Amino acid sequence: MAVKFRDYYGVLGVPRSATADDIKQAYRKLARAHHPDLQPIAERGRAAERFKEINEAYEVLGDVDRRARYDAVAAGHASGADFTPPSGGPRAGRTARPGGWQDVDDAEDVSDFFASLFGRPRGGGRGGREGRVVFPGADVEAELTVTLPNVLRGGRHRITVDGGRSLDVDIPAGVRDGTVLRLAGQGERGPGGGPPGDLFLHVRLAKDPRYRIVGHDLEMDVPLWPWQAVLGDAVQLDTPDGRVTLRVPAGTQGGRRLRLRGRGLPRPGGRRGDLHAVARIRIPERPSAAERAAYEALRRAAAAQAERPARGTA
Amino acid sequence: MSASLASRPLRAEVYLSTAQLAAASSLRPEQLARLIRAGLIEPRAPGTGEFTLSTAARLRRMLRLRRDLHVNLAGAAVIVDLVERLDQQEIELGRLRRAASA
Repeated sequence: MAVKFRDYYGVLGVPRSATADDIKQAYRKLARAHHPDLQPIAERGRAAERFKEINEAYEVLGDVDRRARYDAVAAGHASGADFTPPSGGPRAGRTARPGGWQDVDDAEDVSDFFASLFGRPRGGGRGGREGRVVFPGADVEAELTVTLPNVLRGGRHRITVDGGRSLDVDIPAGVRDGTVLRLAGQGERGPGGGPPGDLFLHVRLAKDPRYRIVGHDLEMDVPLWPWQAVLGDAVQLDTPDGRVTLRVPAGTQGGRRLRLRGRGLPRPGGRRGDLHAVARIRIPERPSAAERAAYEALRRAAAAQAERPARGTA
Repeated sequence: MSASLASRPLRAEVYLSTAQLAAASSLRPEQLARLIRAGLIEPRAPGTGEFTLSTAARLRRMLRLRRDLHVNLAGAAVIVDLVERLDQQEIELGRLRRAASA
């Protein structure tokens, strides 16, 4: 059986001539730096792998007999090279037990390379598996922020949960800010091999300054030039569904709500609420000479009419 | 993976007895009793003799730290507290960053 050679000196970052104390120091330092329980949440999974390598390396180099046996076979091998273990198989005697991460009572898994030289540690070395009690795993909470277009269409999101595991989740259309989704069986593993808990995903709706949410309806402002409001126009409107054409009727006052039916948020029954475009009259900040002249003409025309009661203030 | 809408709580919190917690942590009951007396492991409420699953997770973490880093359990309890605080801050920071960029 050919296995991949492992460069344990390289893993611990010490030369082959290192003393036992050097090796111990290097190991302690690496163990502190890479212990999975001390890493940021997203890096725990990766750290567990690295930590296992570090432990395996120390399990060999930290033991005089194993180190000698390793040195004897290691000469001339590069890390990752194919390695054929010497005949005779693993030496009998004390079985190694590198500290793996997992649960404290899990069988430790070692590399094939390690096993080819020193044997595979027997699982359940801490009192056996009999009489073990099995529990469901704990539930886990996570948060996901989605955008309005995501909410309207639903869609797949990749989330990363504790331990660095990532998960593709189909978010159903119509979730709201604060909706909690349950992903059965995606929580923590059960101690002793029990069923895993559930993952509760709290949905947050990303703030979008363009839209306001009112129940199942959406509201947005549509800026209109005075002449568009007075004469009517068709304007392009960017909605969460994409660009639509909004017909602005002649004589649209500021604040008037123009309804786009069925373009709001999904309702439980499957129908959707409405989108209200609220007319906001804007005026040119720097009118050109021609525009100014036009407005002055407008003033004269207005003055010629009898005083009209002004409704609202501009 | 498809998600289903949930109204919480969906499952009542599972509690472990002292014997179950000991078994889940590969500790002898008298070892666990010592940890409880020392205040390193606490029941969900005084006198209940019941422990939450997160307490079980915390205990396993403490035992791993003792085994791997040769700290004693009092030290491990401090480390676990600090890591939990860092986790909270990490989550809060992520939330604030997302809120700020939204």
